[in-house]
Amino acid sequence: MSTDTIEILRRTEAPIHPAPESFVRKYIFSIDHKVIGVQYFIVSGLMILLSGLFAEAIRVQLTAPHNTFLTPQQFDEAFTFHGTLMVWFGAIPMVTGAFGNFVMPLQIGARDVAFPWLNMFSFWTFPPAVLILLSSLAFGAPNSGWTEYPPVSLQAGVGIVFWTTAVFTVGIGATLTALNFLTTVIKMRAPGMTFTRMPLFVWASAVTAVLSLVATTALASALGSLFLSHVFNVPFYDPSRGGTVVLFQHMFWFYSHPAVYILIIPVFGIVSEIIPTFARKPIFGYKLIAFSTVSIALLSFMVWAHHMFTSGLGPWVTLPFMILSMLIAVPTGIKIFSWTATLFGSNLRLTTAMLFVLGFLSTFTIGGITGIMLASVPVDWHEHATYFLVAHIHYVLFGGTLMGVIGGVYYWWPKVTGRLMSESLGKWHFWLTFIFFNATFLPMHFVGLLGMPRRVAYYDPAFQGLNLFISISAFLLAGSFLLLFVNAFWSLKKGAAAGPNPWGARTLEWMIPSPPPYYNFKETPEVYATPYGYGEPLPYSAPYNSVSTTPTY
Amino acid sequence: MAAISAILIVLIAIWPINNTLAVAATSDYGIDALFKFMLYFAAPIFVFVNGYVLYFARRYKHRRDEPADAVGIPLYGVVPLEIWWTVLPALLMVVLGIWSAVTLFGLYKPQAGALNVEAIGHQWKFELRYPGLKSSFYGDFYLPIDRPVTMNITSADVVHSFWVPQFRVKLDMVPGMVQQLHFTPTQIGNYPLVCTEFCGIGHGDMRTTVHVVSQADYDKWFSGEQQQVAAASASAGALNLAAGVVSKGQAIFEQKCAVCHNMAGFAQKKVGPGLQNIFSDPAHPKLVDGSAPTPEDVAGIIEKGYSGDIGVMPNAQANGLSSSDVANLVAYLKSQSK
Repeated sequence: MSTDTIEILRRTEAPIHPAPESFVRKYIFSIDHKVIGVQYFIVSGLMILLSGLFAEAIRVQLTAPHNTFLTPQQFDEAFTFHGTLMVWFGAIPMVTGAFGNFVMPLQIGARDVAFPWLNMFSFWTFPPAVLILLSSLAFGAPNSGWTEYPPVSLQAGVGIVFWTTAVFTVGIGATLTALNFLTTVIKMRAPGMTFTRMPLFVWASAVTAVLSLVATTALASALGSLFLSHVFNVPFYDPSRGGTVVLFQHMFWFYSHPAVYILIIPVFGIVSEIIPTFARKPIFGYKLIAFSTVSIALLSFMVWAHHMFTSGLGPWVTLPFMILSMLIAVPTGIKIFSWTATLFGSNLRLTTAMLFVLGFLSTFTIGGITGIMLASVPVDWHEHATYFLVAHIHYVLFGGTLMGVIGGVYYWWPKVTGRLMSESLGKWHFWLTFIFFNATFLPMHFVGLLGMPRRVAYYDPAFQGLNLFISISAFLLAGSFLLLFVNAFWSLKKGAAAGPNPWGARTLEWMIPSPPPYYNFKETPEVYATPYGYGEPLPYSAPYNSVSTTPTY
Repeated sequence: MAAISAILIVLIAIWPINNTLAVAATSDYGIDALFKFMLYFAAPIFVFVNGYVLYFARRYKHRRDEPADAVGIPLYGVVPLEIWWTVLPALLMVVLGIWSAVTLFGLYKPQAGALNVEAIGHQWKFELRYPGLKSSFYGDFYLPIDRPVTMNITSADVVHSFWVPQFRVKLDMVPGMVQQLHFTPTQIGNYPLVCTEFCGIGHGDMRTTVHVVSQADYDKWFSGEQQQVAAASASAGALNLAAGVVSKGQAIFEQKCAVCHNMAGFAQKKVGPGLQNIFSDPAHPKLVDGSAPTPEDVAGIIEKGYSGDIGVMPNAQANGLSSSDVANLVAYLKSQSK
């Protein structure tokens, strides 16, 4: 086939595969990126919920300094499951598997991802991994935290085998998804969509794919070494037989530092979509935002040892890691300032999705500042592995990732389901979550600075007052999420029809009906300009330039 | 916003960190000063980002009398502004980086005439060794005021961490390597030494007290310990299993062992296995050389602790058991065995 023929096929009506008819092919073993996205959303959503329940169990235990609600053994299992489920089974599949799958191909005007069958396979590594992990509860659960540092993790018995196998399995899916997304973004953009015309969520998805693809291999070696140590007694981490304990920490964090950017960069993308839509104006500094995403990704591979400043690396090794970690503040600051500047001169619509994004700006800024504090080695020596660290990571992952994800849920829900959610219920949800989030995690900074280590089932009675306050706030924080579930079910049953473009957005996914048809775009759209030109005609070829961009919600 | 930032900066400047969490070791590390410096720039960043978000949200909110398709101004960026907020934070990070680096190298500098102490992490206690004392301490220990200390830190089993919050310094106790932590206690008082690196089920209770005392008190304590060591080795408080008392053993069991063990069959686990019929139950795995354990074997396990397939148990010293306690426990376990 000559290049011209391919070009003609792309621009005119290429043949459309018929939609699957059977229930199994349609909803279970589907190769449609939208269905797979929803599948990821449901499973990872359930995992976030389950992980939250483990967190509440931790908070019940910590209401009193020597509480007997959980034994130390059960407490250790609870925080291990909380972290493991949240990172690998909740947040990462949510931001890549769910949002990436559903939104990214639509935004580039593609009919599906590059390898639809592979996409289905990626998803189907996920439920088995969940089953492997949860079944360990019956055989002796892993109990050394989501980091599973040896040698203590090797004392835990068979649980570590389940844990490594489960995370390894879910890692296979994550790697294949990364490969798939990267190919999709490079090869399948609509004609005319140059890199600088891509929506920022697409930028974020592509950069995240690179991170997943490169970093997950290091995780595989860390997991493999732990598995071999336990099953075949290989002395990687036994110093009495020539092993090196700190080696594991290097391999683990060479993955897990980029992993925190796998968790947050797609959310940067979500935020960059929601802000211009509701500010009704172009995003401020598009190129610098895209460039800062790339530079954060590059830097993220060079800072892993900042998790190990107390592990005995010595001053000359910690120094470059400290400087590079501090440098990340620069691109992150660029993003925060650019988003804030976008609000200037706007015509602001304070929807629930926008409120969550403004909440994100506030809480993520705190998480960023405490991140700089932890990057400075001398200060880190005081703060490391205390509740200050717990507060920091939750300001970044809850106040950052989860706030952005919830904003994204409110934003794309009408596109996925075709129905609107209740805005008034949504606003209640936002205010309760925002208030109790801060009431839960802000005091953790102080309790940590005053001397409370993390991962303790019992603690010094001097910290009881603050811990009780944190626990009560945490229960109310969990309660606030009931409003989201009520809202979702109400919307599915009684929500008003959304129409193709309820928010008046300008990216391609809003130019087609809600929910989108099986083949997404009957004709491949052509793109003439950036999507963020509010007030100008839509930059797409007919028939994708006829949707109204007046908000109708 | 500038006014609020200024007020915050002044408040931070006059905030005596020492009152919130006492500084009890060399203050010229500059750790608190560094922390304050970061608060100085954190406060305006926080105030300005939140302030502008709130201000813009009020000022530019869509009003009902505006047309539904109203849009904001078509502003795609302001290059000088973007250069400013790239360069300024970068410069700030350079300053912070240099200050941190200088402080960092200071932390690693050994001091002349330092008192060398060894700290060894165990599941779940700190062992302290002093030059000139034969036996180790597991628990409270003493340091003289105003004398530099070099703490030689390692671990016997898993990764632990050595942290005295009032000293502001922390390093991990890593098995297979020795790290040095340098500090000089500067305030008399009792401070907690806590483990911050997760080390198993006893992690939450892995705390002890460091007493910073005057040189005279320290010398008194030190010579007292020297004499005690001599006395102890003279009388040799040996284990006498025959002297064990069942009722005393039961009391100790209920107070200590019952936290992790049931007095029931082997399979009735809490943390460790059930301990009934420990000398005769065929279901009980043969703990010693493939044969049923003797009372001496059981006493040995209680004394030395256990680490293996079944789990991990701290030793008698960590559990606070004396030789007579061990004898009483063995007597009690014998009485509960067919």
